[in-house]
Amino acid sequence: MKTFNQFHTIKLVAACAAIVWATGTFSPALAAESIKATVNGMVCAFCAQGIEKTLMKMPQTKAVFVDLKKKIVAVEAKEGQSLDGKKISAEIKDAGYDVVKLETVALSVDDIKAATKTKK
Amino acid sequence: MKVASVALAICLMAGLTNVANSGPMGYKGSTMAMGDFSPNWKEAWVNQAVTPRDAFGAGGVAMQSDDKKLTRKFSELTYTRLLSRINAEHSQANLWLLAGMGSVTGNNFADGKTMLAPGVAADYETTRFYISASARLYRAQGINHDFLSARTGLSFYEVDYDETQPWLIVEARRMRGLSEKIEITPMLRLIHNRYFVEFGVNNMQQGRFNFMYIF
Repeated sequence: MKTFNQFHTIKLVAACAAIVWATGTFSPALAAESIKATVNGMVCAFCAQGIEKTLMKMPQTKAVFVDLKKKIVAVEAKEGQSLDGKKISAEIKDAGYDVVKLETVALSVDDIKAATKTKK
Repeated sequence: MKVASVALAICLMAGLTNVANSGPMGYKGSTMAMGDFSPNWKEAWVNQAVTPRDAFGAGGVAMQSDDKKLTRKFSELTYTRLLSRINAEHSQANLWLLAGMGSVTGNNFADGKTMLAPGVAADYETTRFYISASARLYRAQGINHDFLSARTGLSFYEVDYDETQPWLIVEARRMRGLSEKIEITPMLRLIHNRYFVEFGVNNMQQGRFNFMYIF
């Protein structure tokens, strides 16, 4: 009987763990973080490409999204790493463009891209 | 001799000022390749952006006069400098310094000559509109010519970064010495994230094809 109860206890704990994992309730490491910059002067694909390539070279960068129409550059951090807004701003400035707004958002680049597409 | 010099200056200038919507250099660390091809000249060059504002490169051009009796080949080293940039919410304006130095050979003189070709170019662009102008002096032994060109264009619609954008571009350039006509060329341009191609027919019924690619 004792063995039987232990077995069910283990199953119950495993099930709870699976539910928690699946719902993301206890997975802070998986929460995406991105920096969203509004950039002046970004008017063509070549501008966008330069910014994208520059930011992708940063070791913390997982993905970059450029929206030419809304003048937005979004940079997503790799899992477990954080982005330096000042560094990103400096890289964009160094590429020849002006950052007029910078914000950190708890979204992935894919989320930002999807939201942008939806708004259009 | 002056005819050849003017023609060569024009060829050189055309190569350095064709790059609408991007400037005559790429982003820091990038390599830009470009070609400009028509019956009277065929040109190709590459440059490397060593800083966000400076690029060094090399190029070559083979050209001929309208009557096809005069031919030239010119090879050069180039330096491009972004002198000034003004960024606004929906636009960008640039001022460029262009410089070239090289050797020219031709079918009506024996030895190569050294050419110096300083110039400036300015452009203003939005996602839907583009205008540029350029001026360059061409100087060599016994040769002194000026060159002017202008371009303007409209895109049919805005696109996302990962989509191809079509533009209608019109270029006017003065070919004094090579041809007394002002060459006007309407072109269709397709621009994508790392390349563009242009093709059109000028007012002398000559086909023209340009491309640019950033590595």
